[in-house]
Amino acid sequence: MTIVGTSVRSTVARTIADRLSAAGVRHATGVPCSLLASLFAYLESDESRLDYVVASREDTAVGIASGLTVAGKPTVVLMQNSGLGYCLNVLTSFTLIYSVHLPLIVSWRGHDDNDAVEHDVIGRELLALLDVFGIGWVLFDSSNAESSMSEFLERYDNGGATVALIVREGLSH
Amino acid sequence: MIDIREAIATILESYPDAIIVSTCGYISRDLLAAGDRAANFYLVGSMGMAAPIGLGLAIAHPERRIVVLDGDGSFAMNLGALPSLAQRAPDLIHVVLDNGAHESTGGQETVQVVDVPGLARASGYPYAVSVSHRDELAASLPQQAGLALIHIRCRARDYAIGARLALTPPELVTRFRSALAAREAA
Repeated sequence: MTIVGTSVRSTVARTIADRLSAAGVRHATGVPCSLLASLFAYLESDESRLDYVVASREDTAVGIASGLTVAGKPTVVLMQNSGLGYCLNVLTSFTLIYSVHLPLIVSWRGHDDNDAVEHDVIGRELLALLDVFGIGWVLFDSSNAESSMSEFLERYDNGGATVALIVREGLSH
Repeated sequence: MIDIREAIATILESYPDAIIVSTCGYISRDLLAAGDRAANFYLVGSMGMAAPIGLGLAIAHPERRIVVLDGDGSFAMNLGALPSLAQRAPDLIHVVLDNGAHESTGGQETVQVVDVPGLARASGYPYAVSVSHRDELAASLPQQAGLALIHIRCRARDYAIGARLALTPPELVTRFRSALAAREAA
């Protein structure tokens, strides 16, 4: 879907994308989640300054982002936390050991133990899983999007560390 | 059936200036044994990721030709990457060295993709062929820019496998980035 001639409504999504762009991120890839729908809509729109590369699975998206980043084109990867499981190999046997660090935006289905059953286990353990592999995380606060992005980008440190921005609620407003 | 060393040598002769991404295991060691180059990007792990990483490099450097060296096992592991490559259709030669075995882990049989070029074409690759002889291989390698898949039927290795890369992965990245920058400056 490409949105032409209409303004994307979510200012929060715009803030996230524009702050990434201002920090030197040039491309985006990933696999959608409903919580990130407005961010994907923005990336697919003509307004986005980030080139969006479509991928079929989250680890493939990390691979594409890794190639771009090796070549000097920092790339953000978006995914639902379910997709993080697919990514554990590429994160641990490529990005972390080659020091090719990526900014990740990971939605957190199942964070409040009140979601669909398929999110129960990964939802309960998401932050612990990131901690096990030494991947930093920042909880996104929609009401303070600018400060959340500042903290996230500071932790990312222009490619100095792989860090996940954790999104618990839909970015609809 | 082609000797894997001969297949790699033919590819290197055909694309002397290419960036080459090699999948993990013996294929990276075969590429290293063929002669280390700063434009070689060897994977030590992340089986199935050579093609996506090659795609990322190709998007960043559309003026460069990229060669991805996959095995039949690593290719089968990530068939879902093919449409992403096809959608961008960069200047990338996707090579599948198919000896029907996971030789790096002891020669266990691989799951067989019956029609590798057909699968690539169905995914959107504009050019895909399968070859079994060295003469055929040289003639099948396109010189014009574009996305292509070359499926090469190979013999099981009957030679001593080469050394592992001595560089650490971050050292490899640093050397590779320097090679990219030097080429851009030239």
